[in-house]
Amino acid sequence: MTETNDQLWKAQPGEPEPLEELVKTGGHPVGLDVGTSKVVSARRGGKDVACAVQLNAFIPVPYSPVTERTIQQQSEIHHFRDGDNIVIFGSATERFANMFNAETHRTMADGLINPSEKLAWPVLEQILRTLVPKPRAANEVLAFSVPAAPPGKEAQLTYHEATLRKHLQAGGYRAMAINEGLAVIFSELEDHNFTGIGVSCGGGMCNATLAFLSIPSIMVSVPKAGDFIDRAVGEAVGEHATRVKAIKEEGLDLTRAPRDKLEKALHIYYEDVVETLVDTMRRETSRAENLPKTDRALPIVLAGGTAKPRGFRELFERTLRGRKFPVEISEIRMAADPLTSTARGAHIAAMFEK
Amino acid sequence: MRPPRVFGLRPDPIAEIEERCRTIRDPVKKLRYVRRSLQRYESLDERFQAVPLAPVRWALYRMSRVDRARALFSPNPNGALNAPPHRPSAVAPRVRQAANWAAALLVVAAGLALASYPRSQPNDAPAPGVTPVAEHLPATQATLPPRGVWLVDSGEDFELYSNGLRIDTTYAIAGEPRRYRVFSIDGGMEPEVFDRPIGLVYHTSESDIWPLEESYNEKLQDSSQNLLRYLRRRHVYHYLIDRFGQAFRVVEEADRADHAGMSIWRSGERIWLNLNGPTIGVSFETRWEGGRALPITQAQLESGRRLTDYLRDKWSIAPDMCVTHGLISVNARRHLIGHHVDWARGFPFEAYGLPDLYQRRAPAVELFGFGYDEPFLEVMGGEPWAGVREAEDRLETEALSTGRTVEDVRRERSELYDRWLAEQTRDAEESAERARADPARIARGR
Repeated sequence: MTETNDQLWKAQPGEPEPLEELVKTGGHPVGLDVGTSKVVSARRGGKDVACAVQLNAFIPVPYSPVTERTIQQQSEIHHFRDGDNIVIFGSATERFANMFNAETHRTMADGLINPSEKLAWPVLEQILRTLVPKPRAANEVLAFSVPAAPPGKEAQLTYHEATLRKHLQAGGYRAMAINEGLAVIFSELEDHNFTGIGVSCGGGMCNATLAFLSIPSIMVSVPKAGDFIDRAVGEAVGEHATRVKAIKEEGLDLTRAPRDKLEKALHIYYEDVVETLVDTMRRETSRAENLPKTDRALPIVLAGGTAKPRGFRELFERTLRGRKFPVEISEIRMAADPLTSTARGAHIAAMFEK
Repeated sequence: MRPPRVFGLRPDPIAEIEERCRTIRDPVKKLRYVRRSLQRYESLDERFQAVPLAPVRWALYRMSRVDRARALFSPNPNGALNAPPHRPSAVAPRVRQAANWAAALLVVAAGLALASYPRSQPNDAPAPGVTPVAEHLPATQATLPPRGVWLVDSGEDFELYSNGLRIDTTYAIAGEPRRYRVFSIDGGMEPEVFDRPIGLVYHTSESDIWPLEESYNEKLQDSSQNLLRYLRRRHVYHYLIDRFGQAFRVVEEADRADHAGMSIWRSGERIWLNLNGPTIGVSFETRWEGGRALPITQAQLESGRRLTDYLRDKWSIAPDMCVTHGLISVNARRHLIGHHVDWARGFPFEAYGLPDLYQRRAPAVELFGFGYDEPFLEVMGGEPWAGVREAEDRLETEALSTGRTVEDVRRERSELYDRWLAEQTRDAEESAERARADPARIARGR
């Protein structure tokens, strides 16, 4: 592909820069997507923006010297000792979960730090350490994503945001939070002058933001997303949620008729998530009183791991067109890279604040 | 790239930002340009708001059009809970100097401009410290319900009534069916569902205003037509009264239009939340700036009075259900009154034969413990309407008599509001869901 000037800032297709390379070299603003399922960092690496991904999960395994030695021999397994357990975290977690036929633990639930998980914060700190390098200069800017306040959970969001900010500031960054949907708009709707609707469907929640010229007018979140689908499908068909997730990520195709009970359940719960999200967006947009006066039709861009299955865009469009949406929509499209677009948008915000 | 010029009679500053943005390739530079331009507009808007003379303010807004960008002025542009510190004024010293010079020149010019303004200023000298909001209109006999307004003639695009009211129906459009519930003080949401309007809400259109002079005829008419087209597209208001006093129907009276937003009102034991369902919206074409309406003409007020009489007669609307938007509008999330402040003071209730509802205890304060913030007080000239103070007294009395703090009473009331609002929202959603599932019902329009 020939690179043009306006593409330079976008992540190029191909292999992402190795994690270690990113962590070694500080000195640039950082964008961080702190998601329930994955944590993604974005930084300028040469001409491009390079992203690194870490699974935001962990699994404690019983400590024994043999186990510890075995784990230590494999450099890609991140771990630490916690009393009688060895806590394995990050991308290796799923492998161990399948090995032990156990569920992975999550540091976050419904988009926020998991209040019922004792190890949530210690593990999340470790995960962030693998992705965020020490800054070279004082007050280097780091922008991290936060969800819109879920109804009734404003206080929990305050705690979540403040905890992350303090941790990152203690590491030497000038940390600032950015709404997740707005970050998607920054990374994907630059051609529309940052005007449109950014939707991020992650593990714990779906976030949607309507912005005009980069200023958010409506921000919503619904606590139904990938984890909800995994859990609900698991309960319906008697499978572990971790296993459902693996099958889902292997190549679910929502355009194709379901072939078995599990796929049928996946279709049903995907539809449920999209309907809930679209209804919430519609309701909040109808209620909004301070929308700028514009006749312009707005684009919608879909991002996040839960939006990745084939046919998700069509399902979203069908659901949206089936309801009377209060704002005219020009197009609905997928993000260039749904997994990293929030982090890349946060990176743009960090560069702007630099 | 330099931010756009702030003066120069251009049609739309937002369009100008957008146009220039198209030439910027780098997203960070583009974001920087957009945000700085908006900061600059916001900074200018703050300065203009502080200009004491309305004609000067008007001229500054006409030249800069920064008011069009107001919906994009945000203290929290990143959408996080903890907003970044507000940046210092983005207006460069040279620009600031230019703006100050322009303002100074305009103050001088205002002397001349004032000569053409008296036509639209009140006839009576205003009382010291009180800014008049509308021309004088003689009162009619208070609170007498109007009787016998009938249709005299009608055509494809007009209706003429016996009280002289002429309604232009060129822009009339059907809206969504009305459907609303009522709350009672003791019993909460009542089971009955209503679909008839039972009240009026008076608004100002917040649109651009040209001087009411013969030389501006074309501009005056164009801006009204543009406004009507916009209102029709968005189903906003049932009626608009233009600067010449012409009444235009927008959304059919029997249907629901968007106009009241989050709002609270009470009559006797009955309480309404969000008054789009139960009320008809009547808007006067003008703008409410810095707590003052730009001059509303006698023709507009007279037309509004005739329209009020017709609507009250047709729908049997009680006098205490004819309210202004400023009196009912609330910020539901922050539990504040005065979310919109159009006609938050100065509506000529007496001249319309209506009780002065500014004296009525504010239901949002009395029943639900709502408060208000500094910007609201600034707009109100330091003092809310009398009914707010009276409602606050009630809260204090209750707190004293029950041995609690006023804050405790307010919190308890706010929680009641949140519960009621959630109940009403759930009910509306379930009804919409049922309507979607029942095509026959949709076909019937209910």
